Amino acid sequence: MGYVDVTGIRHTLSDGRVLLDDVNFRIGEGARAALVGENGAGKTTLLRIIAGDLTPEEGAIARTGGLGVMRQFIGSVRDDTTVQRLLVDLSPPAVRAAWDAVEATELALMESDDERAQMAYAGALAEWGDAGGYEAEVTWDTVTVAALGVPYERCKYRELSTLSGGEQKRLALEALLRGPDEVLLLDEPDNYLDVPGKRWLEQRLLETRKTVLFVSHDRELLARVADRVVTVEGGTAWVHGGGFASYADARTARHDRLAELRRRWDEEHQRLVDLVRTLQQQAANSPDMANRYHAMQTRLAKFEAAGPPPERPPEQKVAMRLRGGRTGVRAVMAEQLELTGLMKPFDLEVWYGDRVGVLGANGAGKSHFLRLLAGQDVAHSGAWRLGARVVPGFFAQTHAHPGWQDRTPVDLLWHGEPGRPGVDRGRAMAALRRYGLTDAADQPFRTMSGGQQARFQILLLELSGATLLLLDEPTDNLDVLSAEALEEALAAFDGTVLAVTHDRWFARSFDRFLVFGADGRVYESAEPVFDESRVVRAR
Amino acid sequence: MTLAVPPSASAADDASGPVDDAVTAAVGRLSGEFAGRVGPQLVVRVVRDCRRELGGSPVGALSELVERLARYRLDRQIG
Repeated sequence: MGYVDVTGIRHTLSDGRVLLDDVNFRIGEGARAALVGENGAGKTTLLRIIAGDLTPEEGAIARTGGLGVMRQFIGSVRDDTTVQRLLVDLSPPAVRAAWDAVEATELALMESDDERAQMAYAGALAEWGDAGGYEAEVTWDTVTVAALGVPYERCKYRELSTLSGGEQKRLALEALLRGPDEVLLLDEPDNYLDVPGKRWLEQRLLETRKTVLFVSHDRELLARVADRVVTVEGGTAWVHGGGFASYADARTARHDRLAELRRRWDEEHQRLVDLVRTLQQQAANSPDMANRYHAMQTRLAKFEAAGPPPERPPEQKVAMRLRGGRTGVRAVMAEQLELTGLMKPFDLEVWYGDRVGVLGANGAGKSHFLRLLAGQDVAHSGAWRLGARVVPGFFAQTHAHPGWQDRTPVDLLWHGEPGRPGVDRGRAMAALRRYGLTDAADQPFRTMSGGQQARFQILLLELSGATLLLLDEPTDNLDVLSAEALEEALAAFDGTVLAVTHDRWFARSFDRFLVFGADGRVYESAEPVFDESRVVRAR
Repeated sequence: MTLAVPPSASAADDASGPVDDAVTAAVGRLSGEFAGRVGPQLVVRVVRDCRRELGGSPVGALSELVERLARYRLDRQIG
């Protein structure tokens, strides 16, 4: 088994801001540690430093055992990466290097069949065998059968973009959990997983003997799996040695302790400053006091040089004001609606003010259904319509907004779009401040964290005047505090909400549930249904 | 024509079941392919040399590697 030792890490952003300083912690053998913190606090950066992608300005990472890393983007891969390439990339460095050598020599053989090329190819194959490549291929077969239901040989050239986000995650997790690496870094492993998938992940993480450090915003998963919690906040990190159940109290106690230490330091500092001033005046009148004055000056200098204790981290304030407005009594109506090839026809009436949780298996058509209601082009039969004064506002699951990537939030707010008037910089900054996005105001959308992008999308919904919110996994990238703020905002929202979610805690705040079954049936439930199995389709 | 692969000390040291099969199969195919252009003894020698030089290769890939390299060398022999 392996461990990770993080010592004295410091990292400065390109704009000069210190993101992390004096970060110290150890994840011991077999531990299952959660890495939590507000959006933008530096969790992913810290994982990248531990993974060796980034070199810290100061400090060192020590570890034993191979390191397996699942990056956050897995689940939203849209390029031409294949299943085979993903599995290679998740393999130990020796296997990756051997694979690259085999590929390179194969290409060289296509150019020239001479003796040198053939011997190089044979050498690369020997290296592949020595690196455990053939054993890796056997594991990959087990992995693809477990994750996708098909043997490796039948899916290795398949592009990841043809898999759902949940399937991409499952594939990567199966590979890492079955692979040889003893330390796993998992950046939001539960994103895109449906509830059976999350339960599967919880069980596998509880069973594994590997050392795991994972980022998650899913409180149920955190509560079930984490046996310690590493918090990134205030530019550094601290460890709660217990589970997530006692974490909130531990964090409050820590903040109170930090505030108390700081208060005492400030008091002592003021006392020393006052003493120096008094002695300075006395020394002016009495040369006998000069020595005491200089001694006190030295003491104050030493005290200040030692510096104050760390400040209590500022609380993130997120104030979402989703207003909405009164609409017709019937907000959404559907008759014998069927999304082609995804589900059986169903009827639906959603009333003004309803809070409808849209639940069900991955691939059952939930996201397509929301996109249809948002006015996008989705193949369907049957009828559907929105009620009077119902203005849909859509929150996209994967934040797929190609036109936004190089634009800044201020720019996007300033220009507006159809249905959402532009606002001047002052109003834009005020709105961004309420969403905790001041620092991201002038940075390109693509460089914002997933949570920042999610909060920005909710801000746009607020400004659009939507009276029907169509939310596709809105809490997936939100930190716990932002998710709570969203829940409060939805409770105060004057309008109707339909939300696709696999967040068990978030789902319980809804009134009624529309369940997309694995068998294609769409039905209503008064209680959340989380055990619909995966939709099986021909591959 | 039946070909016998002459034993040699070094080859015998290397040989194992699947490896022998690889050599025998390559000799059989290449002898037919180069019949009339090179003698069978040369085919055997070239194949065995190739087999020895490719000694560290994975067993599963050995047949293909040996045959391919031997074919290249035999082609060079006959110009």
